[in-house]
Amino acid sequence: MRPIGFSTGALAFADFRRGLKMIDKRGIRYVELSALRQEELYPLFLGLEHLDLSNFSYVSIHAPSKINQNEEEAVVEMLQAISQRGWPIILHPDAVHDFSLWRRIGKLLCVENMDKRKSIGRTVKELNQVFDKLPNATFCFDIGHARQVDPTMNVAHFLLKEFGRKLIQVHLSEVNTRSKHDSLSLASILAFQEVAEMIPDNIPIILETTVSEDKMESEMGRALEALTAKPQLLAVV
Amino acid sequence: MKPVQSSVDTLEQQLGKSWTQLKTARGRAEIKREELRSALRGIDSEDTSVVVFGSLGRDEFTDASDIDWTLLVDGGADPMHLELTREIDNKVKELASKTVGREGLFGTIAFSHELVHQIGGEDDTNRNTTRRILLLLESRVVGRNEAYDRVITQILKRYVLEDDGFVKGTGKFHVLRFLLNDFARNWWTMAVDFAYKKRRRFGQGAAIRNIKLRFSRKLIYVSGLLSCFGCHMALDELKPTGVCPGIGSAPECVECLHRRLQRTPIEILADAFLYLPHMNETAKKIFDAYDGFLGILSDKDSRDRLEGLGSEKYENDEVFKAARELSHEFREGLNDLFFDQQSLMCELTKNYGVF
Repeated sequence: MRPIGFSTGALAFADFRRGLKMIDKRGIRYVELSALRQEELYPLFLGLEHLDLSNFSYVSIHAPSKINQNEEEAVVEMLQAISQRGWPIILHPDAVHDFSLWRRIGKLLCVENMDKRKSIGRTVKELNQVFDKLPNATFCFDIGHARQVDPTMNVAHFLLKEFGRKLIQVHLSEVNTRSKHDSLSLASILAFQEVAEMIPDNIPIILETTVSEDKMESEMGRALEALTAKPQLLAVV
Repeated sequence: MKPVQSSVDTLEQQLGKSWTQLKTARGRAEIKREELRSALRGIDSEDTSVVVFGSLGRDEFTDASDIDWTLLVDGGADPMHLELTREIDNKVKELASKTVGREGLFGTIAFSHELVHQIGGEDDTNRNTTRRILLLLESRVVGRNEAYDRVITQILKRYVLEDDGFVKGTGKFHVLRFLLNDFARNWWTMAVDFAYKKRRRFGQGAAIRNIKLRFSRKLIYVSGLLSCFGCHMALDELKPTGVCPGIGSAPECVECLHRRLQRTPIEILADAFLYLPHMNETAKKIFDAYDGFLGILSDKDSRDRLEGLGSEKYENDEVFKAARELSHEFREGLNDLFFDQQSLMCELTKNYGVF
C-alpha cells in the first residue's frame, strides 16, 4: 500500500496539535505539519519541542504561502532549523522574494507546483525557472493543482516526466473552481488515475482534502483508488 | 509561442523570391495584436482569454481588415462576462476599421463546454464547429493564455484519444482521421455557406467572399490537412518538437499537435515545402499567388471594388477576374502538392481526402 497521510492544516487549520491527534489516533504514519499562514510558523516552531512524533515515519513542514518580505530571512532561518531534523520543507514558489535565502535549505527544500491563480510554478516551463534558482531543491507534486491548470492531465504528465527524479512528496486533493482544496470527486479520481503509474509507490502521499474526522478513512480509500492506474486507460495513454 | 524563425521567410530566401505582401501583413498583424494586448490589459483572467481570429490570427492583416474576436470562457459562469464583452467591444472598435461579421460568430462569448463536449451530433451547430476549428487553425490569444491553452488542449485530447486507429496504431497510416474529418467538414460547410450567404444577402459581398473562399478559407483547410498528414510523414518542419512521440503517447501527441497548430496556416504550408524541396516550382506558384491575393486585399481601391460588387456583376469585373486568375494558380499548385507522387502526399490525399 502507498504511504499515505494528512496535512494538519486540512484537518484542523492552524491547530496542528489537534490535527496531529486526529491523524495519530488512526495509526496513520505520514504527516505534513502546516504553517500555511506566516503567523502560524512561530507557534509551530516552538511547539515542535513538545510534540511526540515518535509514531510517525514521515514528517514534512508546509512553509507559509505568503511571507512578509521584511521577515523572509527570519522565516527561512526558522525553517532551516526545522529542516535539520531531516524534514522536507514544502514551499510555494510564489511566496519567495529572495531565492538566495532559500538555497540554504538545500535538497530538503521541496518546491510545489502551483494552482491556476498563480503566475509562476504551474507548468514545466515555469517550474524550470524556479529550479534554475533553487537547483538543489526537490519536488512536491500537487496533483490537484496540476489538474486545475489542465484537466486533460497533460500538464501533470509533463511535470512528472520532467521532475520525477526530484519527486519526494505528493499533495492530493480536489482543487475546486475557487482554488480551494476539497474532498475527492469521481472526476478527479478518474483524472488522477491517468498519471498514477508515474508516481513511485514509495512516495509519501499527503492529503490536503478538507474532511471531517469521521471521513478520514474513506477519503484515504478514495485517494488510494485515485492512485491506482487503470489498465484500460494505460492501453491508450 | 510562435517560433522566431519564419518558415515563409526561409522558403522565400531559398527560392530567391520576394513576398512583400506576406511580410507586410505579418508585421501589421503583430502591431495590431500588440495594440489590442495593451488596450485590453486587465480584462482577461486565468479563466478567460481574448482570442482573435481571421486575418489577425493568420498574420494576414491589412489596413481594411476587421478584428474578429471572442471572449473564451473556461470557468464558472459569471453575469459579468457580458459586461466584459461590452468593454472589449468598445476597445476593439477604437482599433478596428470595421465591425465584426454578421453571423454572431465573433464579438461575443464562447464557452469551453460546447467546444470540448459537442464534437459531432445535433448540438454541434455550424457555429460551434466553426468556432472550434477556427480556434485550432487560425486563432491567436491577446493577453492571458491560460484558458485558451486549456481549451485547445482539451479539444485536441478528445481528437487524439477518441481516434482508435491513431492511438493504437492499427491503421496503415499514422494520421488523425477524426480531426482531419472535422477539418474537412468545416471546409465543405464554408463552401456551402458561401452559396447560402449569397442567397440570404441578395448577392451583397459575394465577390469578396468568393475570393476569400478561394484563398484564405482554402488555406485554413490545407494547413489542417498538412497538420494531420505531418504525423505520418514525420515532417520535421511540421513537428516543432522535432521528435515524433510515436504511437500510444497521447499526452506527447496532444502537445506536439498543439505546438504545430500554433503556427499560422501559411507557415504550416511553408513548413511542408521546406520538407519537399523537389516541389520548389510549385511552392513559387502557390506563394506568388497568395502574395498577389494579399496585395489585392491590401489595395484600398481593389478591396472596395470587390466589397461593393453584387453577385450579378462580379464575374466580369477586372479586379475580380485578376483575383480569380491568381486563385487558379493557387489551386493548381495545391493540386500538385497534394497529388505529389514523389512523396507520400498523393497516397495520403487519396486515403484521407477522397476514399
